This record gives sequence, structure tokens and C-alpha cells, in this order.
Amino acid sequence: MSIVSFDNVSKIYTSGDHELYALNKVSFNLEKGKFVVILGPSGAGKSTLLNLLGGLDSPSEGTITVSGKDISKLSDNSLADYRAATVGFVFQFYNLIPTLTVYENVKLVSEISKNALDAKEMINKVGLLDHLNNFPSELSGGEQQRISIARALCKNPEILLCDEPTGALDSETGVMVLKLLLDMAKNYDKTIVIVTHNQNIAKMADVVIRVKNGKIRSIENEEHPLSADEVEW
Amino acid sequence: MLIKKLLRTAWSYKSQFISMIIMMILGIGVFLGFNMEWKTIEYDTDRFFTETKYADYRLYSENGFTKDDLKKITSIKGVDAATRFLSVNLDIKGKDKKALAVDVSENFTVSTFKLMSGKKYDDKSEEIWLSDKFAEKNKIKTGDTLTLLFQGTEIDFKVAGLIKSGEHMICLADSNQVMPDFNTFGFAYITPSKLTAILKEKMITAATDKMTAAGMPEDLAIKAATKAVDKEAIEKAENEAFSAINLRSDLNKTELEDLVKEKLGKTLMVVSKDDHVVYKEAMGEATEGKTMGSILPVLFLAIAILTMVTTMHRIATKEKTQIGVLKALGFKNRTILLHYSFYGLFIGIVGSALGVALGYFICKLVMSENGMMGTYFDMPYWTAATPTFCYPIIAGTVILLSLISYLSVKAQLKGSAADALRPYTPKAMKKSFLEKIPLFSKLNFATKWNIRDLVRHKSRFAMTLVGIIGCMILLVGGLGMRDTMSGFLDLLDNDISHYATKVNIVENTDIKAVKPLIDELDADYESYVGISIDGYTATLDIVSNDNGKISVIDEDNKEIDLKDDGVYLCLRLKDKAKVGEYIEFSPYGSDDTYKAKVLGYNRSIMTESITLSAKAADLLGIKYSVSALYTDKSSNDIKNSDLISGKQDKKQLMDSFTSFVEIMDTMVIILVVAAVILGIVVLYNLGIMSYVERSRELATLKVLGFRSKKIGHLLISQNIWLSALGVILGLPAGIITLKWLVVALASEYELKLMLGPLTYLVSILLTFGVSILVSFMVARKNRKIDMVEALKSAE
Repeated sequence: MSIVSFDNVSKIYTSGDHELYALNKVSFNLEKGKFVVILGPSGAGKSTLLNLLGGLDSPSEGTITVSGKDISKLSDNSLADYRAATVGFVFQFYNLIPTLTVYENVKLVSEISKNALDAKEMINKVGLLDHLNNFPSELSGGEQQRISIARALCKNPEILLCDEPTGALDSETGVMVLKLLLDMAKNYDKTIVIVTHNQNIAKMADVVIRVKNGKIRSIENEEHPLSADEVEW
Repeated sequence: MLIKKLLRTAWSYKSQFISMIIMMILGIGVFLGFNMEWKTIEYDTDRFFTETKYADYRLYSENGFTKDDLKKITSIKGVDAATRFLSVNLDIKGKDKKALAVDVSENFTVSTFKLMSGKKYDDKSEEIWLSDKFAEKNKIKTGDTLTLLFQGTEIDFKVAGLIKSGEHMICLADSNQVMPDFNTFGFAYITPSKLTAILKEKMITAATDKMTAAGMPEDLAIKAATKAVDKEAIEKAENEAFSAINLRSDLNKTELEDLVKEKLGKTLMVVSKDDHVVYKEAMGEATEGKTMGSILPVLFLAIAILTMVTTMHRIATKEKTQIGVLKALGFKNRTILLHYSFYGLFIGIVGSALGVALGYFICKLVMSENGMMGTYFDMPYWTAATPTFCYPIIAGTVILLSLISYLSVKAQLKGSAADALRPYTPKAMKKSFLEKIPLFSKLNFATKWNIRDLVRHKSRFAMTLVGIIGCMILLVGGLGMRDTMSGFLDLLDNDISHYATKVNIVENTDIKAVKPLIDELDADYESYVGISIDGYTATLDIVSNDNGKISVIDEDNKEIDLKDDGVYLCLRLKDKAKVGEYIEFSPYGSDDTYKAKVLGYNRSIMTESITLSAKAADLLGIKYSVSALYTDKSSNDIKNSDLISGKQDKKQLMDSFTSFVEIMDTMVIILVVAAVILGIVVLYNLGIMSYVERSRELATLKVLGFRSKKIGHLLISQNIWLSALGVILGLPAGIITLKWLVVALASEYELKLMLGPLTYLVSILLTFGVSILVSFMVARKNRKIDMVEALKSAE
């Protein structure tokens, strides 16, 4: 059963008479509980794809359906509600609120999410219970990213969207974070979409979507993806 | 090429640049305006006083001065010039309730006038020289005839010329009047020979009346009277008329007093120009200007400079990568520093130039013939003078601004080009002492977020608070000043004065002579006598208020039932003696000294005085003459008499305050407008800074699914909390400022600080209003937050 469906979706930026297709008539479906990697060089349109799926932006043409709901023509407020209920984000630069403690950063989402999970338990799951009262600036990059994962999952969303989640980390920490991300997604039965240009991460995915010049070049389903330990980093 | 970048960068920070320039304009403008105001008062009045030979000292004697007295005074070493002087208020016939102070300066070497148009002064002339301002208001031209009433006699005068005089630069009928009314009261000069002629005629008429009343036929009576009024009699009348000697001298007051006593053999009341109403008020205005010029503008300038510091720092950090790029490209540090210092220089120069224009405008608003002072001063010169110290301060401010930009950028230039290329990282978050309070953890996340944000950006927090407090101070100060003044007028109108007409009595009139008139008018009366309290000049105010026409009030504005076994000191004399102690004073012109018990303190409206009941004065054995009567009769129902020198309606008296209140209103409007501009500029600028500094956090919240409205609330709630804090701190600060303003602007009255509920309400609401308006302006921006862009950068 597909949880995400893109139907002829385009995103067009106009400057003067010039039209630029960031995405050009893209169509695909994603199944619930899968680990999806969107792969492509910079400028290919993968971030646009993620932004549309995450409800940060609306398509110029076409329809996006998530959990049976058309999100392509929602108002600003409805989009905010959609983001609050349906998607959890993990960013390259973590984007924690610097003035809130670790606990408060995770707890924060319970203000907007109706079926939020217990914040402390989530922090415990990412192994940072000792740092509950620390500020983000007192943590390492890897630790901050783990908190960011805890925050994303605490909302109890249907889909986890990750934009280069290991991009700012050294490779060892990156692998650890990635493992955690996948484990958590599996444990909580979440669909996970990662945007990256890192080919290695693609080796672990159930589905790999390759994007180039605003178009989908290929969609590959992997029957037996490798585990993080099996990938050569 | 760098110039192009400079202009484009300036454009991209236009709201910050514009707000900094506005703050500079306000700071320099208010600073210069108020300082130019007092300097111009000093400069213009000094020129006018010198030109019209304003007297340095005035000697008063109840019995007048003889020519011999004048000779003796003139012979004192150190007295440059002296004249017998007379100034008497006369009503104008045919013009309802209009009067002139008619002056005679015998030698015309002291207390003269400046001719504006018409004939030159000629001491043989029969004509009159009239105040040009009064003439203009009453449409009187040179050559017209004026009829004055002198103790019931009508005298015609031809207007020889139109004049201005230092002696009447502030043209007030008597000490009860606060503001000139050029339409109803003016001044004029006549020659001594004309005075002699008037006195002679008056005496002949009086003698004739007496004789005809005794049964003598009129023609015989006139002949006999003309004979009886001989040279000696006229000279005696003249001597009595000249109750003052005005002189110019560099001697100090005590020296002069001693020398006068030595020459004339008696103590006289010596009033230096510092105690003469015109000079005193003019210098008082200058001092008020100085006070205003030293505190208020400093507040504005300080806020302008602090805004500059925070904003330039903010711009420099935002420009950090640009600075890094320039450095990486190979530009020398010096070039980059020069480039960015130019921002401060640019703001400084543009702000100062426009600020100088604003300062000139403010100065002219106050100091010009049609400006605020034009309703107070009647003088020929209205220039604009700048105190010398203003130039280095303005230049210093421009240099300081350049230095601020220089230092802000210098901080970003530290280390290698690679360091400079890295984006600016704000200070890491540390736990503040607030976190240790148990209650803190119970706060919701928005409150915690806001509190920590303020702790993290302390300078922004402090500046916002200063802006709100400043706004509040200006509002409470301005509106409170108005409340206090209108409370004062209410007090004067309703609690102190219960009469319809004040009747001024001719000088040196004994109580016995006035008694029939007092009974006829069912009046209360008052007597003013100049006294010395151990060398300190004050007024003895003897009050008979059995008919309830005038009241004496205490510090709390409650009526005092005057007791007869002592005296009351006005609030300004509080430090002279405690209640229960004895105070000594001696009237000028006599050698008697009186000692009386202090029964309490009273609020004196105008004069610095010792008040006592008529009975108390009798018990002490003080001889006095009646100065004024207060009656319920309207002025038209009071017959003219030799005893009456003038009549004044209470309404007329209260109306004289109108222009005073108008001046006050203008000041209040200036202060309120300044408060609102200050509030909007400071808060908007800092609001934008706060928004920019938090844009990444706000974008994160938006991505997480917070609605724009909720994020807006977060921003607004911080401003509301800051506003509340600012209002709480600003209110007492405003009251302190008001107290200071009352002392600085109205030290000549004993004002009771009054603040109406409306003032509290308007000040608080307006401050909140400004703050919330600005918050909404800023919060609206968050709808346009680019979520994607904000998430790309690292903090």
C-alpha cells in the first residue's frame, strides 16, 4: 500500500521570461515502512522533491498525496498542521533551538503534535539521558544529530524526512547516526526518506530513486539491502 | 568598485540605516535645539538690555526720591549712571479693560527704549512713545491720540513713536500675571516735563474741587488753586512720584547697599537685576533651557549611540563572510576597515547635517517672534546662536560613529582569512542564575525560550528596555507637566480665588483711607511689603480674608484658617525656620525688625513670602498700606476713585494663563511625538534585529509544524513582557523626571505634582501600543520566512 504518491508533479521557478524546471513532471509511489534514498548530484532537484514532500513548499503542477490526503494545494496553516502531524525532519545542521535544553528541544514538539511520544523515553532511546539539561552548544555534532532524531520521532510522524543527515559529521559518527536512524525507524515502523549524494547510503535502502535535471532517472527496488556494517564506508 | 558595494550594502540594510539616521537626527536635533535656545535667549536679551540701558539695580523708597537723593546716589563711586524712575499702570479710556505701564526716566541714561518707528525721544515733548506690539494689536499708529485715566483724570497723548524696551521685555501688569497679553496690557514712555505738567494740573483740579466744595465760586477757586500750587508743591509731588532710582553699576549688592546707606542715611530696598522680574524670568528661561539642554538631549544622543553600537555590531556579524571574502581576495585589513568605517561616517554626516537642520527648527520653534517665546518676550532681536561646545560634540559624535563601525568590523577581522570566511557564531548558551530557581523549570517552553533569548542577547535586551523606559519617561513627563499645570490653575481658580474683581490700590494708601471702600465692596484685602530675612529678599503678605474672597492653602492644598499669634512661611522658605521657631524680618525702607513665631507652611502661588493675618500684623505692630482689594462686585460696578489704580477681573487674570498653557501644550506635543518616534524607531530596529537573529530558530519551528500565528505570538509575547517591564520601570523614572521638570521649568511657582489617571492610562497604553504595533510589524515578517534557506546554514 503506497503512503506517498507523486503524480506529474512539477516545480517551476520563473525569473523574467525564463522558466526553470526544478522538477519536471515527476511521478512515483512509495510504500509504507520502506527505507527510501533519493540520490543525485547537486542541483538535480532532490531537495525540491524533499521540500514538496515535507510540505515546506507547494508544487506548481501535479498532485502529491500523502496517506490518502492531497497536500498539493493546502493553505499555509494546513501545511503547518500537515508538517506537525505527518512528517518528522532531520537536517544536515541539526537545527536544534540553541536556547532550549536537550529535553526541551524534544519536548517542544508535544506542543503541536496530538499523539506525541514521551520525550524522555526518546532521549533514552538515542542514549543521551545523561544530557537532558544540557544546551545543544554543549554537545558534539553527533550527539546533536541524535537529539534531532529523537525530536523527529517524538512527534510520532508517519514519515521521517532526512536531508543529508550525516553531511556535517565525520564518517565514523555518520555511520553510527545512520544506524540509529534506521533502527529507530524500524522499531517505530516509520517510512524513512533520505536525500543524499552519498552512494554508500543507497546500498542500505529498500528503494533508490535517482534524480537528475529535475527528472527521475530510475527507481530501483532492492530485495536484500546491506546493513550499515556490511557497507564499506 | 568598493564604493558600489558600499552603497548596495547600505541599501540592503536600509531599515537599520534609516533608523540609525533618524536616531542621529533626533539626538543631534534635540541636543542642538535646546542648547541653541538658551544661548539665543542669552545672546539676544543681552544685546537688547545693553541697547536700552537696562538697570542693574533699582532702589525703592515709599516716600520717593528728591533730586538731591539722586545727586548723592550718582556721586557714589562705581555708579555709572542713575535716574529717578516712575512706572505706573494707567487705564486707557474708551478701550475696555486695557491699560499701559507708563514710564518716566528722568535722565534717560538708564532704563530707556529702542525706537522702532516715529520721532526720536525729546525730553521737552508732550507726546507719548508707545509699545509697538501693543500698538499693533490695538491698531494704533504714530500720530493717533490716546486718552489715559490718571486717578480719575483724563489725559490726552499724541503717539510720537513706537518702541520696545528692555524694562518691559516681559510685559506684565503685576505679579499676579504670568504671561503677557499684548492686546490688553502694554507700556509707554512720557517725558519728565509732561509728568510735571500732569501733576500740576491734577493738583490744581484737586485744590479747586476742595474750594468749590467749600462754597467758593469756580473761577475764583481756579485762580486761587493755581496760585497755591507753586513750584515747591509740584516738586514735592514729583519727589513722591519718583519712587525708584534705577542705576547702572558693577558694584555688588551688599557694597551698593552699604554705600547707599552711608550717603542717604537710611536702609533702602535694593533690588538687583537678578531679582527684577524681566531679567530674572529671561535668565530663568535660559537656565530652564540649559537644564532641558543637558538632560533630555543626552538621553536621545545616548540612545542613538547605543542603537548604533548594537546595530553596527549586528551588521558586521552579518557581513562576516563578505569581510572574509574581501580578505581572501587580498584586500588589506586597512582597506576593509576603512570601507566599513565609512558606514558610520556616512550615518554620522547625514544624521548630523539633518540634525543641525532639526536643531535650528526646534530653536526657531521656541525662539522667534511667532514662536513660543514670542508670546513671552517682546524684543527686536530673534537670532539663532549656538554654544561653542556644540561643534566639538557634533564632530565627536560623527567620529564616534565611525569608530563604532571600525571596532565592530575589527572584531570580525581577527585571525586568518579562513577564520573570517567562517560565518559568525553567536555565543554558546550557558545556564543563567535564573535556571536555578525551581519555578523556572515549570515555565512553558515559549517563556523559557524568550527569557533565555534575552539573557543571550543582553545588549539587545537592555536597548529595548531603555527605549521603552525612555518612551515612558517622555510621556509621563510631558503629560504630567500638563496635569500639574492645569491642577495649579484649578487651584488658583477654585480654591484660592473666590472673588470676581481684584482692585489695585494706589501705593502708600493707609488702611484707614481704604476702610470705607472695603466696607462698600464687602472686600477682603492684601498688602505686600518687601522684606529682608537676614539679607534674603522676600515679600510680607498681610491677608485679611474674613469675607472669604481669598484663601491661603497648605502643602496639601487645604485651606488654612490663619491664626493671629504668628506667621506662615511659603514652601520655598521652608528651610528658613521650623514650625514653632521664631523668624526675624525687616521691611525695606525702615529700620524696624520684627520677630514672629512660625505657625506653619503655606503654598504660595507666586511670590516668595511670609504670610500673616491683618490682626497678627497689628499685634506685631507692623505698619502697612493696602495693596489690593478682592470683591464679588464686577469691575463695571466699582466706581473710579483716587484710591484705585486699576481693576482686574478674575477671568482676565485666568485668561492670562492661556498662552502659558498653550506653550505647555506645545511642549507636551513635542515630548509625546518624540516619545512615539523614539519608541517606534528603537523598538522596530531592535525587533528586526531580534527577528534576524532568531530567523533560523523561527524557521525550524515553522518546519516542525508550528503555525505562523503561534510563532508570531512567541515574538510578540517577548515584546509584551519587555514592554511591561519597561512600563514598570519607566513609570517611577517618569515621575522622577517630572519632579525634576517641575523644578526646572516652574521653580517660580510652588507647584504640587499632580498626575491624573488619564495620564497614567495614556502613557501606559501609548507605550504598550507602540510596542505592540512594532511587534506586529515585525511578526508579520515571519510569514515570509524562507524555511528552506534558513535551514541550509549552520549556526
